[in-house]
Amino acid sequence: MKKLVLGTLLAISVVMALVTGAVASETKVHKNKNTGLLTWTLNDKGFQVELIQLLPDFIRAIYAKHNFPKDEIERAASYCVFGTILKNTSDQQLSYRVADWRYQTSDGKSHPVKTKTQWLEEWRKAGVTFSWTLLPDVGEFSVGDWQQGFTTIKLPRNAEFDLIFKWQLDGVVHTGTLENIICAPESLPEM
Amino acid sequence: MKHLLFIALLTSSFALEADWQQPELSHNLTVFKDVIPATDFELHDMDEEKVRLSDYKGKVVLLNFWATWCPPCIREMPSMERLHQQVDADGFKVIAVNQMEDVDQVFAFTGQLEVDPTFEILFDTTSAVSRDYAVRGLPTTYLIDKDGRIRYRAVGGREFDHAEVIKIIEQLMAE
Repeated sequence: MKKLVLGTLLAISVVMALVTGAVASETKVHKNKNTGLLTWTLNDKGFQVELIQLLPDFIRAIYAKHNFPKDEIERAASYCVFGTILKNTSDQQLSYRVADWRYQTSDGKSHPVKTKTQWLEEWRKAGVTFSWTLLPDVGEFSVGDWQQGFTTIKLPRNAEFDLIFKWQLDGVVHTGTLENIICAPESLPEM
Repeated sequence: MKHLLFIALLTSSFALEADWQQPELSHNLTVFKDVIPATDFELHDMDEEKVRLSDYKGKVVLLNFWATWCPPCIREMPSMERLHQQVDADGFKVIAVNQMEDVDQVFAFTGQLEVDPTFEILFDTTSAVSRDYAVRGLPTTYLIDKDGRIRYRAVGGREFDHAEVIKIIEQLMAE
């Protein structure tokens, strides 16, 4: 009888651990109560990825502040832009390369995510020397390191997609997916 | 004026968004296994005076790369000021190297802070210094020893006046 009780408790704890593990790697969605804008967060295998909807006018304001040519401001604002926060939540060395990341549209097609290097090359041709705000192409994170920047997706307002991202932890490559991400609307949603 | 208000409103709306999601500031510093010399540079300060990193040889230097539009840079700044106030100024220096902004922008920004920074602010107007230090994103911070060698690094915001950070700085000062 005692063995049966112990066995049952063990089984319950294993199930609980599995459930907890499953919950830990689920995408969390947060709606900002002031703006109605959405944020998606996934924390899986030592890597936390967070995407925050940004309005096109915010992007215009940022690049206008840095004296970008009008055409370049509009081109940046035409993209679906997310504030992105990446964090090493593990106790090991972690790395990522945006060149390995893809976004998948509702037609099932997979597309590469535009890198900072690609943007900087285009900006250079337009006479822009400013080189910040975009998510760095490569990250080498020690314990506790984190970084943020813009991720740009070539999709229209309100479009939906999945972001498939990779990272390397202690020599092992992992893949995660933030599902059903929605591009920001043209202006603040009605509350 | 209207345009400035518009930018201010948008920036504050982003700050509201950022308030919810910004990770807690930790105090981890990464040890540089291969100790490398910190590249010397010359930049101007808020008074347009030229300052070289090598002016502070013999002191431990916390070298921080930042910008006014960077939320974690703003969040960690009060802890840098507290650190600057707490640690012996004869053996320690905090230097915040601003990226691609000008004195007017930074002056307007610091005027809005609860505590006006009293540490050194320098202007890397072309980001040439940040490239020399392989800074990929802001904020990034290096801890440089008395001999001008990089010993620790932090990518992302930190609480720099945490007891463990102060302990590391004091150890470097005692070397």
